[in-house]
Amino acid sequence: MDIIVCIKQVPDPEGPQDCFVINPEALRVEPRGIPPVLSLFDENALEAALRIKDACRDQDVKITVVSAGKKLSNAVLQKALAVGADELVKVEDAAFESGALDSYATASILAAAIRKIGRYDLILAGRQAADWNAGQVGIGIARFLDIPAVTLVRKIEIQEGHALLERVTADGYEAVKTPLPALVVASNEVGEMRYPTMIQRREAKKKPIVAWGAADLGREGELRNKLVLKRLFPAEMRKGECMLVEGKTPAEAGRNLARRLSQDGLI
Amino acid sequence: MVSSEGSVLIVTEVDKNQEILPISLECVTAGKRLAEALGGGTVALIMGAGVGEAAKEMTHYGVDEVCLVDHPDLTAYQPELYVAAFLQVCERVNPRAILMGDTLTSIDMAPRVAFALNTGLVTDCVAVEVSDGEVSFVKPVYSSNVMAAYTFASEPYVVTLRSRAEEAAERQETADAGVTPVDVKLDAASVRTEVLQRVVEEDAGPKLTGADIIVSGGRGVGGPEGFEQLKELADLLHAAVGASRPPCDLGWAPPKSQVGQTGEKVAPSLYIAVGISGATQHIAGMQSSKKIVAINKDPKANIFKIADYGVIGRWEEVVPALREAVSEIRK
Ligand SMILES: Cc1cc2nc3c(=O)[nH]c(=O)nc-3n(C[C@H](O)[C@H](O)[C@H](O)COP(=O)(O)OP(=O)(O)OC[C@H]3O[C@@H](n4cnc5c(N)ncnc54)[C@H](O)[C@@H]3O)c2cc1C
Ligand SMILES: Nc1ncnc2c1ncn2[C@@H]1O[C@H](COP(=O)(O)O)[C@@H](O)[C@H]1O
Repeated sequence: MDIIVCIKQVPDPEGPQDCFVINPEALRVEPRGIPPVLSLFDENALEAALRIKDACRDQDVKITVVSAGKKLSNAVLQKALAVGADELVKVEDAAFESGALDSYATASILAAAIRKIGRYDLILAGRQAADWNAGQVGIGIARFLDIPAVTLVRKIEIQEGHALLERVTADGYEAVKTPLPALVVASNEVGEMRYPTMIQRREAKKKPIVAWGAADLGREGELRNKLVLKRLFPAEMRKGECMLVEGKTPAEAGRNLARRLSQDGLI
Repeated sequence: MVSSEGSVLIVTEVDKNQEILPISLECVTAGKRLAEALGGGTVALIMGAGVGEAAKEMTHYGVDEVCLVDHPDLTAYQPELYVAAFLQVCERVNPRAILMGDTLTSIDMAPRVAFALNTGLVTDCVAVEVSDGEVSFVKPVYSSNVMAAYTFASEPYVVTLRSRAEEAAERQETADAGVTPVDVKLDAASVRTEVLQRVVEEDAGPKLTGADIIVSGGRGVGGPEGFEQLKELADLLHAAVGASRPPCDLGWAPPKSQVGQTGEKVAPSLYIAVGISGATQHIAGMQSSKKIVAINKDPKANIFKIADYGVIGRWEEVVPALREAVSEIRK
């Protein structure tokens, strides 16, 4: 069983606002003082893959992580190997900068890389990348590879030649059956990715890392973007005049809060 | 007959009771502005089974035409059938732009449609801007810290609109548009992903959207027991219970209670945030609330920067006292 998980490297999305420095001329966001990390939802996707591996101990399950970008850090991506992925494929090119590629271009590059890897029963992607928040690449990959796609999946069970999935809906979930190979977009309800132990971190350094460039995919000089980024500007945040409600004890503060809200006609 | 070549196609969604979703009416507002800039008309599309009444209702909102795809195989959303039907409508209408609400359905459908049409897609758009005849689509990126404006290098433009980004179109007594039924050929046997079962999970209490008061919990609430306490407070206030992302991921709160960039966008009169740090992705979903209360033990928590009222303290001590006092007041 071959599983491929698509993981993007992004600047830590939880950094404070002033870390996301906008370069309006270059149309780039230049993160300051925040480290690159695995995109949050892609960790959910990897966790879903790891659970399949846990559940299919009697089988040979291989998890390959694919990441495309401009400068990818082994140290960051090795976290995926440390938690249990078996191999890392990095697809790097100066032109593959995150902001320079839209989802259409990214999906076509990742589909080309996955084709080159060749063996896949299941491909997993995250719900949206934590930098540009597009939420499209998974479905795009499926389209380019002409395989079925199921999105917002919180649970995966592999059976002979197909998978049973739980797909989150507005008022519950759907049980979906898909033939393999298929692409699955994991939902965050999968749950957080496990932590690697120190030993796993050390072992991860011995796991194979493959590095490909645009030329290896026959993809030099053409990006295929469908969107044109025109302008970047800071988001306006709400500013509150926070009135601190106090009390001798937190409980008293709680009671005072009720009084205050009632006086102001809010409850 | 559909004649509105080069128009803006507005995908209209209905709820279980065949009521048109507010977001679809917000799409009409954006769609009309977009159509004007592109020099075409607006076509609303309703797809489903037994949605004829909703289609008729849709003629009251100022669109030029309503397309109705009524087919027994479209009872519930199934991506392959819906996309197949949608692409057939596109062949007839030949739209220059396609607008959908940023709903759970369109999260799945919009990328499928865009890739099938070999075109681009802007998701979670918060502003459709027209300047000097050029239309651009603005969306939050980088944890909602940065706004990005896009144009398209391909057509049709496909865009999903965030709820509450536009005013809903108003209902008019007269209905100028006609309903055009569109026949589609669907082959249910060709479907690759089969839905075996649709499970409705019990959902007690008021819904987030439309709630006047929301009591929302974060990672600081510590577990499902904490959420039960929030529920008690919410019941007293006739409020809905919301959550930040971690409680939903960890199963302390149902997925649909998530508020934020990837959850519901809410705007109640009162939003009470308990044990929520105030990450930009959370704020993105609740900053339009009229008043915000923050209860957090960390005085430096970001949530206090956007809150109107704050209590610094452990919720375990603050919330029970708050609940008792509320129940006194409510007596
Ligand atoms: C692409 C992307 C999309 C995202 N979408 C969303 C989204 O839609 N919604 C969302 O909410 N998040 C979203 N997130 C996650 C977001 O970045 C934050 O991780 C999340 O909002 C943090 O949740 P929190 O405030 O509950 O947890 P934390 O940041 O861990 O904060 C917990 C807070 O609780 C306080 N606390 C702890 N114990 C107590 C106590 N006993 N009493 C009182 N206070 C206490 C702490 O001081 C702290 O401030 C997204 C992230 C990414 C990358
Ligand atoms: N450059 C990339 N490298 C690897 N995976 C990616 C990349 N970009 C997007 N993905 C995958 O596609 C998902 C959706 O991304 P997006 O459509 O860009 O929001 C992400 O959660 C990843 O799983």
